[in-house]
Amino acid sequence: MSRQPHSIDELQDIVSRLPSTRNEDWKYTDLASARDISSRWLAAGRESLSLALQDEVEAVTHAIDANWIVIANGELQHPVDVNGASRLDDAPSSDTALAELNAALLKDGLRLRVEDALDKPIGILMIDGTEDASVSQAYVEIEFAPGASGEIIEYHASKGDADQYANTIVSVAVGDAASARHLRVQNRAAHHVQTGHTSVSVGRDANYTMSGFDLGGGLIRNDVIIDIAAAGAEVSFDGLYLAGEGQHIDNHTRVDHRVGPARSRQEYRGILNGHCRCVWNGKAIVHEGADGTDADQANHNLLLSEKAEIDAKPELEIYTDDVKCSHGTTVGQLDETSLFYLRSRGLDKRHATQVLTHAFASDLVARMPVDAAKEALATVVEHRLAELLDSDPDTFS
Amino acid sequence: MATESENIESLVNRRYEHGFVTDIATDSLPPGLDEGVVRAISARKNEPEFMLEWRLQAYRQWLTMREPEWAHVHYPKIDFNAISYFAAPKSDEDRPKSLDEVDPKLLETYDKLGIPLHERARLAGVAVDAVFDSVSVATTFKEKLSEAGVIFCSFSEAVIEHPELVQKYLGSVVPRRDNFYAALNSAVFSDGSFVYIPKGVRCPMELSTYFRINAANTGQFERTLIVADEGSHVSYLEGCTAPMRDENQLHAAVVELVALKDAEIKYSTVQNWYPGDENGKGGIYNFVTKRGDCRGANSKISWTQVETGSAITWKYPSCLLRGENSVGEFYSVAVTNNLQQADTGTKMIHIGRNTSSTIVSKGISAGKAQQAYRGLVRIMPQAEGARNHTQCDSLLIGKECGAHTFPYMEIKNPSARVEHEATTSKISANQLFYCRQRGISEEDAVNMIVNGFCKEVFKELPMEFAVEAQALLNVSLEGAVG
Repeated sequence: MSRQPHSIDELQDIVSRLPSTRNEDWKYTDLASARDISSRWLAAGRESLSLALQDEVEAVTHAIDANWIVIANGELQHPVDVNGASRLDDAPSSDTALAELNAALLKDGLRLRVEDALDKPIGILMIDGTEDASVSQAYVEIEFAPGASGEIIEYHASKGDADQYANTIVSVAVGDAASARHLRVQNRAAHHVQTGHTSVSVGRDANYTMSGFDLGGGLIRNDVIIDIAAAGAEVSFDGLYLAGEGQHIDNHTRVDHRVGPARSRQEYRGILNGHCRCVWNGKAIVHEGADGTDADQANHNLLLSEKAEIDAKPELEIYTDDVKCSHGTTVGQLDETSLFYLRSRGLDKRHATQVLTHAFASDLVARMPVDAAKEALATVVEHRLAELLDSDPDTFS
Repeated sequence: MATESENIESLVNRRYEHGFVTDIATDSLPPGLDEGVVRAISARKNEPEFMLEWRLQAYRQWLTMREPEWAHVHYPKIDFNAISYFAAPKSDEDRPKSLDEVDPKLLETYDKLGIPLHERARLAGVAVDAVFDSVSVATTFKEKLSEAGVIFCSFSEAVIEHPELVQKYLGSVVPRRDNFYAALNSAVFSDGSFVYIPKGVRCPMELSTYFRINAANTGQFERTLIVADEGSHVSYLEGCTAPMRDENQLHAAVVELVALKDAEIKYSTVQNWYPGDENGKGGIYNFVTKRGDCRGANSKISWTQVETGSAITWKYPSCLLRGENSVGEFYSVAVTNNLQQADTGTKMIHIGRNTSSTIVSKGISAGKAQQAYRGLVRIMPQAEGARNHTQCDSLLIGKECGAHTFPYMEIKNPSARVEHEATTSKISANQLFYCRQRGISEEDAVNMIVNGFCKEVFKELPMEFAVEAQALLNVSLEGAVG
């Protein structure tokens, strides 16, 4: 199937249909900047010179020992010498404007099939960097064959002062009795925009574990949709978002339990400092007949600044009775007695805060499913956390 | 297992006991809604000009508004021109001065409900402003209340007797154009209750209104306004049952509470309107706007509700916590069975410093019912030191029912402490087995477990209501337990 060419008008039309805040799922996240960047880029002829990205690519690929595939500004970098990886011409068309945009503007899609047990993680680095405002698309399909097991690292990065909007779609199919471990790191430049959609289907007795880390970016929206359509599935996912001055990070998750027994659990944690806003919306839907479902959601937030805002919404929709579902959400500050304890031991406020926020974040780093990346990730998280604490001068005044 | 399910069957099939129509001729307006109807309602009640003007503005605003569709409920579209907007009992001209003068048929109605008005009033020391359809027909203990300076009367009376208070507070908590149904209510409200507690007065008795919807095809649009002046205290009880009939009835009430400095209002509701039959036919549409404004420092508003009736419930008793140190509370037990649908919850808007709120919501869903908790906790940037704890638990009974939770938390101040917990489960086989092996029957065991599940809310109810609440739970819920 060859890709349908789209006229500028058709493309502008898709851009104008990107979700607005009138849509309940987008109530707290305004994609005006994504529409604006896209529309300017389309009007300017869809061309933008690529920046040299070699240093940034090496910084990531050398730090984490994995078989890397690099997608730069939406283009697959050759050679791709990873078993089971191949280029895709097209992304499937879909009914959402974001998916339409992805399909219409996609340069290179990527398909990855894991046949048996991987001895080394496969890393996919999606990196953008251009001279002028630009828009990039990525589409990745990952399939774990029945009984296969392995680790996937999805790393998003960007460079440059020009406006950028990246729209990525990743779909993961975990076959029966397969075991997939997925690490997702988003560490874009401070003002860049990304909408990321991850959909996962989990087979019979399969196991899917994911950790997402949102460290950078300006306006970031992640959708994680997990579909449990076979019995015996075990799903576990975590997310950590660190938001500083000017950042907006929105995590929407949805788990569909269509068949039971199956288990899903998720825990998202956020640390917010400076003028920023984070959104967490976790939804678990237990469909009719999904007996023996056990679903658990947790979301904890630390607000360090008066200008930070968190909008949290843990949702449960349950259509059968043989279930055990729970959710818990907390919003608060650092425990004053803990702070006092550290201060009484001679730590200044900033240092004490760093120790405590580090502890808050480190649980999720420790639980992260890809061992090869643990050390590198811990360093990045620590660095980002220190940066975050210094981003709002008022916090320690 | 067989006896268990038979037992359940028989209980599930129990009929609604409070379904009957009292045969009193009513003086109704023909169905339909336009400015003429609004004027006619106002004229019949001899309202002053400001009230008519207020209604007309509300009506014009209502025309520009759209019916809300976001709730997790499904029902056929309402034809607002098929509803008659005014019905009053015939004996309106010579209203009874005391209970003895009340139409015996009316008293009989209350008897059937198991709440003999006079007895209950005497024994419990409760003043009752009974809303029978749209006009208040009996008010007791007025004298004792007026001694204390408390104003407790029907809304129509308040408009005539205390226009300055009505003008000052009406619409100040729920503005006319707050939402579609509030606007409709503002245009056509028939009657309701008005309470004013003067400065420093602790209301000497619990105030109570019994609502009933009676004439077929008549939507009822009550308006309740309670103002607690500085340092005062009042507890208000609202309860309702409705006769059985086939057509859906729309009920869109508005309740406004104002608590000034150091004042406290406790508002308790037991709602048992006709939920429709086991096929979902008939039943009341209960689209209510209830909101309390903690306007002064150290004020407190507490909502407690036991919701067992109505085919569709759309109700979010809320608190605006403006005053420093003000407190909002919401305790709710909601039961849905058969094809009932409920989308209910609360909003706590923290505006003042050191405000706190507590939300405890217990939902029980049985049969094919769908129930949703929808709540909002918003901490405004200036609400330093705000505190919220929310707990919402759902109990599921049966394979085909649903329980949903949509809690919104919007936190814009870092000193806030907000916690939300929710669980959903069915009665565990282990719990039942434990009770059974101690010699407790299946039904009693389920009763115990369900009562334990709701205990936190029941203990907030005034004593007068606690008994009735338990009885209601028996009728509407236990029947479905298994």
